[in-house]
Amino acid sequence: MLDKILYNTVLCQTFSRCGKYLIAGNIYGQIAIFDLDRILNPVAELLTVDFNKPKHIHTLESEKQVCSLVTTEKFLIVGSVNEISGWDWKGFLNFKLNKPSWVIKMPSHSILEQIDVNSLWLSEDENRLYAGCGDNNVYVINLEDGKIVSTFTGHEDYIHSVHGKNQQLITAGEDGYVLLWDLRMGKSHNKLEPHDNSKVSRPDIGKWVGSATLSDDWIVCGGGPRLSLWHLRSLDAVTVFDIPDHGIHVSFFHDDCVVAGGAAKHLYQLSYSGEVKVELPVSATTVYSAILRTQPHNVLTIAGSSPEIDLCTTFNYRDQVLHFR
Amino acid sequence: MGKDETSKKRRKLNTSSSSDTIKQIPVDVYKRVVEFEETEAQLRPADKDAVLFKKICQDIRDLFSDIVELKAKDTEEAKEKINAKRIEASLHLVALKKLNRLEKVRTRAGRDALHKEKQRVDSTHLLLQNLLYEADHLNKEVTKCLQFKSKDEEIELVPIEDFYKNAPIEISRQEVTKTDEHQLQLARLEWELRQRRELAGACNELVASKERVAAAIAATRSRLEALAPHLKDVLKSTKPLQECLALRLDEKRDEARAASLLPPPLFLLYANGSAYSDALGAKTVTVGISGDEDDARRLEQLSNVDTELVISNDSDSDQENNDEDRREKKKRHHRSSKISKEEKAEAKKKEVLRKHPLSVQVSVKVADGTALNLIFSYLLHLKIVVVKFTVSLPKPVTGVSAADVLNGHCILNELYPADTGNDSPHPATAYLLNNAGISEDFHYFIPEVGRPYIWAQRMCGLDFMAAILDKHKSSKVIQPSQSLSVTTVENFILTLKKRLKSRVELMKELQDLESGKIISVKGNLPLRLSGSLTQWQSVGWPEYSQSPSTANLIAESVVNNNDMLYRAIITRQSAKLVALVALRSDYPKKAPIFSLTLHWNGTHHSGINDDIRDIERMINTQWCSEDNKQTTLSLQMTKLLTYLDILLETTGSSEFPPDKVMLCPVRGRNRMKPYKFLKQGTGVFVQF
Repeated sequence: MLDKILYNTVLCQTFSRCGKYLIAGNIYGQIAIFDLDRILNPVAELLTVDFNKPKHIHTLESEKQVCSLVTTEKFLIVGSVNEISGWDWKGFLNFKLNKPSWVIKMPSHSILEQIDVNSLWLSEDENRLYAGCGDNNVYVINLEDGKIVSTFTGHEDYIHSVHGKNQQLITAGEDGYVLLWDLRMGKSHNKLEPHDNSKVSRPDIGKWVGSATLSDDWIVCGGGPRLSLWHLRSLDAVTVFDIPDHGIHVSFFHDDCVVAGGAAKHLYQLSYSGEVKVELPVSATTVYSAILRTQPHNVLTIAGSSPEIDLCTTFNYRDQVLHFR
Repeated sequence: MGKDETSKKRRKLNTSSSSDTIKQIPVDVYKRVVEFEETEAQLRPADKDAVLFKKICQDIRDLFSDIVELKAKDTEEAKEKINAKRIEASLHLVALKKLNRLEKVRTRAGRDALHKEKQRVDSTHLLLQNLLYEADHLNKEVTKCLQFKSKDEEIELVPIEDFYKNAPIEISRQEVTKTDEHQLQLARLEWELRQRRELAGACNELVASKERVAAAIAATRSRLEALAPHLKDVLKSTKPLQECLALRLDEKRDEARAASLLPPPLFLLYANGSAYSDALGAKTVTVGISGDEDDARRLEQLSNVDTELVISNDSDSDQENNDEDRREKKKRHHRSSKISKEEKAEAKKKEVLRKHPLSVQVSVKVADGTALNLIFSYLLHLKIVVVKFTVSLPKPVTGVSAADVLNGHCILNELYPADTGNDSPHPATAYLLNNAGISEDFHYFIPEVGRPYIWAQRMCGLDFMAAILDKHKSSKVIQPSQSLSVTTVENFILTLKKRLKSRVELMKELQDLESGKIISVKGNLPLRLSGSLTQWQSVGWPEYSQSPSTANLIAESVVNNNDMLYRAIITRQSAKLVALVALRSDYPKKAPIFSLTLHWNGTHHSGINDDIRDIERMINTQWCSEDNKQTTLSLQMTKLLTYLDILLETTGSSEFPPDKVMLCPVRGRNRMKPYKFLKQGTGVFVQF
């Protein structure tokens, strides 16, 4: 029997607030902690063979896949199946995994129904957590008391991603819709249908939208349909990016650029006009997570269906490969 | 005047006496004179003559002086006086002459007497010398006698107490011997003599009886020998009976005899193997010996030849070889020398790779009659055991790839981890080969001699690990270890049986697969499958390794070129799934590894498509995990077909109408397809 870790798939990553640690969760319910300090500033004498391996690997009790991760000042928030759990940072970095500090159960309707917490977005100023889930809903959770404050319904299939900006929330779903929500109203007020746009749609891959992200003026989204840049107010597809991918799972804005990845050999950095600025080769067959941080170091980590996680410090080429195994 | 008178008288006397003697014996006058003179000289005292002589001399001197005085006077009277005086002096001279003569005689007499005395002294001295010599000789004789050792001293006698206790009175004679040491010795000697005589008599008697017994034995032996042909006849006549009753008595006897000629490692193997054969029954394990026994016997006689000798010989001839090489370079055109050299090298190679003439055959059988025959041979110089093998099947195997599975090396490959049998486990082999002037590795000779599996060495009790640890003496002779052989033989037979059994099962499975049939397995899977297996054939390593789908597996060294590789093609309408299957040597302990490539809407494999990767994950990592039930290749193939159906049906293409019940066709950010089957109602597929 092959070791299943060979077929590891990392679904989500996050940095700790201090930027010292990289946390990654995979489909086997394992969460790996990488010590970035040690990896980026290696001390030659202390360098061992496994320096690019996790400091610890914790396994969730349920062994259900870890779908999403978010960091707050105090907690590491883990979105798994049917539950969201919060872990005290200090305890989590220990060798031994204790009980989570708190757990929020998803309101499931039957035993058979399992709700994946596919995407988490933290609204810092509200201290609220927005969870895009497998039951087509977005749950708004108040982190003060851990209660579900409200539920956004509107998608017809499960939600791939949640992102917010300026009192707006954007969600992308398997149903092919990108919904814009007003946080105060708790209602969807606008809707994109990339698969209906002939320039964007790719019926052979599907109509699902894997990722949608907001900036002040723009929306970038992609999935089965091509990666495309939409104007937030007019909701027109301004740019359709021509990149050779078989589905987009990651897209976000960075420094007047669009960063996007998915079922492709590279992670792309593109200008708004559609020029490819950087092609970063990736280890993963499909990229499911790419996160970027400029403080205290420039770090971009790219993970997906591979036991390897690519790490870039310049955003231009692959510096190191971390092994989640 | 008086003087004159006396002298006259004496002269008269003298003359008268002399005249008398002349008259008495006229014939021998001289002799008488001599005698007379002698007696006269004797009688007259010598000192008186001396005085007389001195007086006469004085008289003469006086006369001369008178004459001188008278001459001075020169008178007539004086002349007369001178004349008288002259006469007187002449008379004196005569007297002087006589005296002188007497003195001469006396001197001679004295000298004679001295001489005589001297002779006497000499003889006496001689006599003394003789006597001294004789005394010395006698002394020597005496010491010799004193040093003489009597023979009786060497004879060990019984102690005195025993002697008095045991000897009869007439010999011991206590009253004499108690006091007389010599008599005691004599008595003891006599007693000794008597006893020895008695013992000698007893000895003779015993010898005689021994001879009688020997004769009896010889007679019996000859009778026994006469019995042997009869017994042989009896044995011969029992053979049909033995055959009838399927007893292997004769063969066993023969084998036991042959076994004694086996080299020690093979003997260990034979002994332990036959023990297991007895314990497990001849149906599962049989052990035999084959080869030329006479050769073996001859070899055993020569076995005194030391290994070192062989080595030194080899090195010598090696040098020779080099010389020859050089010579050859000089005159390449000499064809004949080249040929002879080749022949020589060939002979040397043969010598180095020489096997012991006897080999042990072990055959392990499984229930359906498939048997693996292993022939273990011992290489005399390289000191390793090599194995050749044949497989006997109850019925011929149809299908090319299926037959390969039961090919000997394939069965034995990596029976134990990393034991491929491709190179000699003996660290000294390379050295020995080199020494013999053979440049090829041992690997090169494997088709010729057989494979030196490590388990084969261990079964024969040879443990080279120990030798490696003892690195300073890597070429030392390794003694077979009994205990190692015992444990390994048991382990091996069981392992091999298991392997063989699983291979037979695999062979059947492969036979079915090759004919496109997938045996339905009672598993947790629905039986309605839309795809079909259209091809199953074995492929080579180059083809396997060149496929892009396998790059990852090879990089992770999950698969290597020792594995059995197959290609399965599954089709459903326009979709074609090519599965490259790697079966590990120790299947089913280790799962077959599938590597998939889907041809539909382009080419997809796990390196570029997550769906294929998910299917591979499902197939490759879920071995033995379900219900603890032994999964088989067929079950995996069934799974593969199911997964393909699911994958194609979830694409939503009209070509593949949904047939299976799925809770949700995709789930999660990774858009996982529902590959897991849950038995709820008619069965439903879920992701997790």
